[in-house]
Amino acid sequence: MGRGDILYSRYFIILDMIGIVDCNSFYCSCERLFKPDLLHKPVVVLSNNDGCIISRSDEAKIVGIEMGSPFFMQKKNLEKNGVTTFSSNYHLYGDLSWRVMETLRTMLPEGCVEVYSVDESFIDLAHIEPAALQSFTVSLKTIIEQWTGISVSIGVAPTKALSKVANKLAKKNKQITGCVLILNTEKKITQALQKTPIGDVWGIGYQYAKKLSCYGINTAYDLTLRTENWAHQELGGVVGARLFRELKGFPCIDMQSERVTKHMIATTRMFGNPVTTLTQLEEAVATYMARAAEKLRRQHAAARGITVLIVPKQEVKGSYYRHGPTKTASIRLPVASALTNELVKPALELVRSLFEAGKTYKKAGVILSDIVPESVIQGNLFVATPICGEKLAKGRALMEAVDNINFSMRGDILKFAASGTTRNWKMRQEMRSPRYTTRWEELPLLK
Amino acid sequence: MDSQEWQGAAYKGSKKYTQQDVTTANATGFGAATDDYMERGIDLNEQLIKNKPATFFFRMNSHAMTGAGIYPGDILIVDRSIRASNQKIVVAILNGELLIRRYTDTGVKKLLSAENKKCADIEIDPLASFAVWGVVIYCIHATL
Repeated sequence: MGRGDILYSRYFIILDMIGIVDCNSFYCSCERLFKPDLLHKPVVVLSNNDGCIISRSDEAKIVGIEMGSPFFMQKKNLEKNGVTTFSSNYHLYGDLSWRVMETLRTMLPEGCVEVYSVDESFIDLAHIEPAALQSFTVSLKTIIEQWTGISVSIGVAPTKALSKVANKLAKKNKQITGCVLILNTEKKITQALQKTPIGDVWGIGYQYAKKLSCYGINTAYDLTLRTENWAHQELGGVVGARLFRELKGFPCIDMQSERVTKHMIATTRMFGNPVTTLTQLEEAVATYMARAAEKLRRQHAAARGITVLIVPKQEVKGSYYRHGPTKTASIRLPVASALTNELVKPALELVRSLFEAGKTYKKAGVILSDIVPESVIQGNLFVATPICGEKLAKGRALMEAVDNINFSMRGDILKFAASGTTRNWKMRQEMRSPRYTTRWEELPLLK
Repeated sequence: MDSQEWQGAAYKGSKKYTQQDVTTANATGFGAATDDYMERGIDLNEQLIKNKPATFFFRMNSHAMTGAGIYPGDILIVDRSIRASNQKIVVAILNGELLIRRYTDTGVKKLLSAENKKCADIEIDPLASFAVWGVVIYCIHATL
């Protein structure tokens, strides 16, 4: 009997439950871990290049700092309210994210943890006795906080979409729920759906929320009163139908083993300072390509498709600037490759074809696609393979050496000359905290 | 995740060790007697890290704990998963500041004491904001 069948019967006890563990104001919590004086004070973290506000502590939410708002527009407001502002410190967040997920893996059987994003994981709780669910979830939360110093919210329900609903409600009512909410009866599920605005449902974005409210659907519960066919028609086909079933309590989105092989690898960044020359753009593209190629090799894969994108600055009315339309160009290599030098060359040709003199650029990026495992690279009958046999082996050995040195030295110590040496286009991170957990020379100090 | 190959909860060291690495063995399989006793070298992580996701490193920056053999510049290994009990050396949060001290809990009062005559003990005011951040399990001190 599957999970759904049990729900169907009127007097059910749900046996198989799924939880989602979500870190509370994750980036802010990371910053506070080594700065305990900021506990209970308003804190925000900015996106790459100090662009927008991407994480807010509860105290910052209360003083009315909006999520996603541009930093330069909020600067005065932040100062006025005494909000401590940090540039993003992805070394720190990545390390603490790993610690949270690893703690979950230690507490749960193998294959029961699906890392969903940097601060969220789905957990399979089918092995926990229904009567013990509450106490187990609470102890899980306590242990994560004890071990890693990061506070989390946990929502538990029969399906992934419902566990998300539970999590949102747990977070909204911290005092009552203690950040843990379990939806294990039909009554509790119905109540939770009634309290959930439609825009808060997993996968319902701003546009869909607007559309649904025109149909009089304002809460998740309103949606469940419709039919599956209706959801299929109005909410983007299979995806919508699946969401509908999930909200009704029938699991349709299974736990996934962690995605080891990615199908696309993208590295895109905003520039610290606007870029006007082709040389600078080339340097940036070569640097991003080196980074993407390193990620590619780490998953033992090779790519055939290369896309380069650049974003010019566009002047709108007087002194206001904004992003212009993104310009892209792609190429398909005759043979898949994972060697930085083979990937950089075509990427540079692409960026040269895109560049227009006189324009100012804000952002650039590379995307690798058509990714295959390294072991099954197919030759091309009509092209004399540029590198094969011994030459390929040499190329791979070189890449391994480069990767090893960069890994052990932390950072781009060895790089291709195309990446440049001045790098004045590099990201702006004026308020970044020390990399407390990944660098010997930046360890937190004790008195 | 990318990092899984080399990071596990308890550090397990490298298992990528094959017969090919035994340099003195020849094709027949006979070699020096030492081959039979080859094993992985000593790995400090095995000794110093009990619970990796809960283990953090700090650097000592004062003379407050010289009596306990902890000097400025030393590296401190802190485990957050260990309960702070009486007489353990802990990293404490006192009024928003991180401190390393010996922790005493008599049931009646709580003390944070320095191991240096120049530093006074701190009796924790029940109204003060106080918490234990983690327990210090090792101190790495350079002798050169």
